[in-house]
Amino acid sequence: MSKYQYVPEPALVKGDHDFSSLTRLVTDINLRPTPKAWYVAMLGANALLMVLLVSIGYLIWEGTGIWGLTNPVGWGWAIINFVWWVGIGHAGTLISAILFLFRQDWRTAINRFAEAMTIFAVMCAGIFPAIHVGRIWAIYWVFPIPNSMAMWPNFNSPLLWDVFAVGTYFTVSLLFWYVGLVPDLATIRDRATDKIRKVTYGIFSLGWTGSNRHWWNYEKAYMILAGLATPLVLSVHTIVSFDFAVSMIPGWHTTIFPPYFVAGAVFSGFAMVLTLMIITRKIYGMKEIMTDDHMEKMNIIILVTGSMVGFAYIMEFFIAWYSGVEYEQAIFILRATGPYAWAYWTMMICNVFSPQFFWSKKLRRSVGFTFFISIVVNIGMWFERFVITVTSLSTDYLPSSWDYFSPTIWDVLTYVGTFGLFFTMFLLFLRFLPMIALAEVKAVIPQADPHNYDEETNEYIAPKVEVPEPQSEKV
Amino acid sequence: MSEEVKQTTYWKSLKQLADNKEYQKFAEREFPENATELTDGVSRRGFLRVMGASVALAGLAACRRPVQKILPYSRQPEEVVPGVPLYYATAMPVQGNLVGLIAENHEGRPTKLEGNDLHPASKGGTSIFNQAAILGLYDPDRSKSPLYNGNRSTKNDFVEFAASHFANTSQRVAFISEANSSPTYNSLKQQALSKFNNATWVTHEPFGEDNVVEGNQIAFGQRLRTHYNFENADVIVSLNDDFMASTHPNSVEYAKQVSGRRKVTDTDGEMNRVYAVEDTFSLTGSFADHRLRLKASEVEAFTYALAAALSSRINGLGAFSGYSNQFSDHKWITALADDLAAHAGSSALTAGSQHNPEVHAAVAAINQALGNAGNTVNYLEVPHFEDQNNNQAFADVVADMKAGNIDTVVMVGVNPVQTAPADLDFENALTNVETVVNLSDYVDETSKKTTWHVNRAHFLEAWGDGFSYGGARSVIQPQIQPLHDGLSEIEFLNTIVSGEMTSGYDMVQNTFRGYYSSGFQNRWTNILHDGIDTTDNFNTVNVGLRSGFASAMNRATSNVSATSGIEVVIRPDATLYDGRYANLGWLQELPDPMTKITWDNVALMSPATAEKLGVSEFKSSNNTTELVEINVNGKSITIAAWIQPGHADDSITLTTGYGREGIGRVATSYIDYTAGGVDVYPLRSTDNMFYASGEVTKADGRYEIACVQDHHSLEGRDMYRQASLSEYKENPDFASFESVHTYPVPGMAEMRENGDEDGPISLFDEQTYPDHEPQWGMAIDLNSCFGCGVCVIACQSENNIPVIGKKEVKIGREMHWIRNDRYYVGDDPDSPQAVHQPVPCMHCELAPCEQVCPVAATTHSDDGMNQMTYNRCIGTRYCANNCPYKVRRFNFFNYPKEYLTTGDDPDIIQMAMNPEVTVRFRGVMEKCTYCVQRVNRAKIEAKKETGSPKPADGTVKTACQQACPADAIYFGDLTDENSQVTKMKRNKRNYQMLEELNTRPRTSYMAKLTNPNPALA
Repeated sequence: MSKYQYVPEPALVKGDHDFSSLTRLVTDINLRPTPKAWYVAMLGANALLMVLLVSIGYLIWEGTGIWGLTNPVGWGWAIINFVWWVGIGHAGTLISAILFLFRQDWRTAINRFAEAMTIFAVMCAGIFPAIHVGRIWAIYWVFPIPNSMAMWPNFNSPLLWDVFAVGTYFTVSLLFWYVGLVPDLATIRDRATDKIRKVTYGIFSLGWTGSNRHWWNYEKAYMILAGLATPLVLSVHTIVSFDFAVSMIPGWHTTIFPPYFVAGAVFSGFAMVLTLMIITRKIYGMKEIMTDDHMEKMNIIILVTGSMVGFAYIMEFFIAWYSGVEYEQAIFILRATGPYAWAYWTMMICNVFSPQFFWSKKLRRSVGFTFFISIVVNIGMWFERFVITVTSLSTDYLPSSWDYFSPTIWDVLTYVGTFGLFFTMFLLFLRFLPMIALAEVKAVIPQADPHNYDEETNEYIAPKVEVPEPQSEKV
Repeated sequence: MSEEVKQTTYWKSLKQLADNKEYQKFAEREFPENATELTDGVSRRGFLRVMGASVALAGLAACRRPVQKILPYSRQPEEVVPGVPLYYATAMPVQGNLVGLIAENHEGRPTKLEGNDLHPASKGGTSIFNQAAILGLYDPDRSKSPLYNGNRSTKNDFVEFAASHFANTSQRVAFISEANSSPTYNSLKQQALSKFNNATWVTHEPFGEDNVVEGNQIAFGQRLRTHYNFENADVIVSLNDDFMASTHPNSVEYAKQVSGRRKVTDTDGEMNRVYAVEDTFSLTGSFADHRLRLKASEVEAFTYALAAALSSRINGLGAFSGYSNQFSDHKWITALADDLAAHAGSSALTAGSQHNPEVHAAVAAINQALGNAGNTVNYLEVPHFEDQNNNQAFADVVADMKAGNIDTVVMVGVNPVQTAPADLDFENALTNVETVVNLSDYVDETSKKTTWHVNRAHFLEAWGDGFSYGGARSVIQPQIQPLHDGLSEIEFLNTIVSGEMTSGYDMVQNTFRGYYSSGFQNRWTNILHDGIDTTDNFNTVNVGLRSGFASAMNRATSNVSATSGIEVVIRPDATLYDGRYANLGWLQELPDPMTKITWDNVALMSPATAEKLGVSEFKSSNNTTELVEINVNGKSITIAAWIQPGHADDSITLTTGYGREGIGRVATSYIDYTAGGVDVYPLRSTDNMFYASGEVTKADGRYEIACVQDHHSLEGRDMYRQASLSEYKENPDFASFESVHTYPVPGMAEMRENGDEDGPISLFDEQTYPDHEPQWGMAIDLNSCFGCGVCVIACQSENNIPVIGKKEVKIGREMHWIRNDRYYVGDDPDSPQAVHQPVPCMHCELAPCEQVCPVAATTHSDDGMNQMTYNRCIGTRYCANNCPYKVRRFNFFNYPKEYLTTGDDPDIIQMAMNPEVTVRFRGVMEKCTYCVQRVNRAKIEAKKETGSPKPADGTVKTACQQACPADAIYFGDLTDENSQVTKMKRNKRNYQMLEELNTRPRTSYMAKLTNPNPALA
């Protein structure tokens, strides 16, 4: 007898759930009358959304001068927020595509949720490059649209690559999300009693009947999209990092940026998923699907990616010294000791130090602590982008041009306002779409894998599963 | 109803609105109050309010059809080709001294002023004040009509008044005039003095040359002007005389002479040596090879000690032999005395006009003893000098006014309410005078106290004449009809003398008719064409020390005392001078050459003094400094403190010109610390015009300062390279990357093996340049540049660069296309070297900005310029981020709109715009274009004439190059082997900034050389 013993994976769905209880648990949220608390939350989110719209309106009216941008620091909060939101948008696709390809079944509890977050985060991110330009009304010139001047955009420019990278990422993420939604939309359609729901969900479920043919097409499409999305997870933040890495500014011009940005993005994305998940599962009573085991697994990813980011920080320092380039060395010393040292050390503490607590299994499984760290990580990741964007520009080659950057109230309001957009979208998602990938979760509960044979003799035994009584139409 | 009654904001009809007093006041004012600082919250509200009123006005105007008539340009005025500028010679009076200028005139309006090559006070160069004069012409805040007791009046009314009032020739009249060299004016002055029996005439200049003239009186017994010829000087010693800065009346000529002796083209070159002994870190001090910090009050003792040391080396200084004081053992005294004695006849000693006459007498004696007179120093007989000490005379006149002994005061161009020593209380004295008449550009502090204020014509609007500092005679040609129907000084004075209006043209012509016995018309035409009359000059006087000199010096040397405690020095401001240029936005926004502060004056102090006072460094994170309270003679002001490395200890320097009230929207200071600085004139008294001992304490609170350069150290970087002349001779390659870093540019060795010398291997395709095109390049000689900033103003004028206001500058959004970086170098933080480096666009051949622009808005031209296509730019600012030289400027707001269309009469300031340069809209990037409009004009001309678009060398000059008094900027075609710029770039001193980045800049620098005295090394 071997000294190793097989320890079965803990059940992915806790509690005594079968197909129908899962269906009810998830889709009832969409079918029952809107709770008052949702309206309250929506009101708050809409207020913030208004802040965003007013900020953007004022920006368009007055010009980018309302922000704190200066001569050396041409990019400020807008680009920081853009990179931060795009980074957050990484978790969704990573969970649904990469973990799907790696057959990580635990992803099913959170993938829908994370993908929705991704899409909304990318929407928030996409606002910034569009509005941060001086002449917003001419922003479409970055697209290669045939025109009478025979003028193409400059394909050398990383900003142009950005347009394509983020655009592609958003499109594929949206498609991927929607394809995954189709069977679940059909479930809601089938359970809906009112006409509007029946028609609306009916349209969007694309005539899904659950036939073998549908499932076959669905799974192929899902697999292909997962295959397409996987490189995008890596490419989008790689290309975002090119905005910096391709330039020649000290502290930007580094080859480590692509992997370091991707790791950071996964890091912040998982933190954001955790933040949202911990709140949502409590409010909607989803603890049996989004379990503490999920939380622990995600905390491990945070620990790993956080340490990768920490390694990158140290590596940057090392390379700056090793390269012998005085400007490179100076900027890293300035980051740690100069006028923005406060931001640098905030970043180091939040991103490198705080995830180290997750070496402890107890802390990994502590809901409150995880929630706290997930927020700390996102603060830290915002500061990482701040440190990269602002410090490098504010203290680059010529000391005569060095200048301190201070944001204005409009920088802050625009950023805060994007949370309004994010939460508005997210609340709409929670209200109208199944927040759990129901079809996929059902596939990972034991009932989906009936063992109709005797373990000892390997002989066929008729299934003992009781077929549930047909459900009453009353919900 | 009293004035105080508040008018209702509500109105029922347009008529009622039009009757509203506030509205009338608004309609009358050219520019609404508070319309300057558009981007700060408070005044933005003001702006909106004003805009609301303007809309209402539009409603009124729309009630009937417009009646303006336009006329076809069908009959073309002679010589006017639309789009082709005409150039006329003229001259600008600066403190009464003319600087010859060439005015560029577009369809009848002057748009740009350049130096006149033929004029000795310019030789093609200009000062910041010359360049900014064009904005002065179109300043919408200029006085627009005569005022009688503060109410609008007309020119005719004034003439009527003058005819009747001045018919009484026995009244006691006091004339207070600014310095004016015009022969016409001075003959009118004589007429006035003979017409009015009881008249007195005083010249009032807050920073006049009286002390120098008095000093020469002590030394030579004659009231003479000291005029240097630094071209012949191998050794120059400045005793607190900032003769290169624009504040000096002859700065352009002097700067050209001093820097001209430092054009070292090869290792055989020789240079002059400049010493500066001074309190404030001045431009001359930063240009000097050696600089000594002394309190202003110690300079006198230092001068005598130097004279005493020289008396044992050369003859002629017997008055000082045996004298000694605390400086006698100073190593500087020995070194200076040795160097001066070794260069007898080819040295020059100068002293600042703030020092008392005895210092100037001693300086004159030293120059005389060294045999410099006639070689490097000339003493000129200036016909318009009064035979009196004007400071004393002015005080006497004010005393008379107070005593009620004056019936009428006539003031020409002066603003004594602002500038007179505070203890005279001029404002109060005016109240005892029945009739006060003044002529001034603005309704200034003085004009508001007058019976009659007459609006003055700008020098570009009226005929005039005068002499340069060195005595060259010129005619001031007007370029445009007076915009506001103002009077020139001569027309004004003539009206008072004769009671009728005579045209200035006739008067000037009459004056010049008197000079020539024959051939007037030809000579007149020549003078107008050349801008200078070479037939006559001031007389150079052959001087000798008078007999009483020794005893005068004995008295002086036995009375020398330095101020105890802290000394407060009052100097003319580097950009606003005495305040007369305070309303010119270009000058307000021009960074002070040393501190780099805009829009404010500060109390300069050394780091040690700051420490003593408990004042800390400027905080760049919120752009604030601490305040100090300065007490002199019982008067006190509170002003921002600024630590100036290299400043003398226990000394505070203040500059004048700020803190004006109600003279214009630019100059007006705001109590809420948004702009404007502090008026320091209240600290001045008749006894201590320039420096006095005072008490300084730290005050509570902080003050926001808009400084364009936060960081003053080079951080050991190699942007600025320099060596001493002997080091250069030993190692001519000292400025190369390899010499500085001990290794070659990375990647260069590999490319050399491939036979490519252009630079290291590049990832991007190198542009190919067609052979038939010229290739433009620039070289900036750091050995000539002394940091005056005229290139900045010239560029601003040429390229329609907007003024953006203190708040925007404070954030760091200054728009200047060329900036002047100033670094402090050296190990001693108390007394560092200051170096200046002008930085325009480098026009990199492998431009980092071009690679990152997503819409290809910045691209390369065939003639090698990095071009900015404003129409294509969407404003991502990526180019500016990626520019290692940080020369790109972004229109964060619609700056030109705020600058050009504010108020109800936007046309005036728009006339200052260069029609050949696009005015940039909000949200686009801009930067130095190498003056592409000038380049292309020259290319077109060259192509028409020769068939090749390569203009001959020297035919195209950038604005900065043309304005530079030190000829520090070379620009031209790099394909021309013999062009100036090619030769300069072949010089071993030539280096590229950040060469290792492989941007291959077309603009390069020539390393600075110093010529230190081994005895002081």
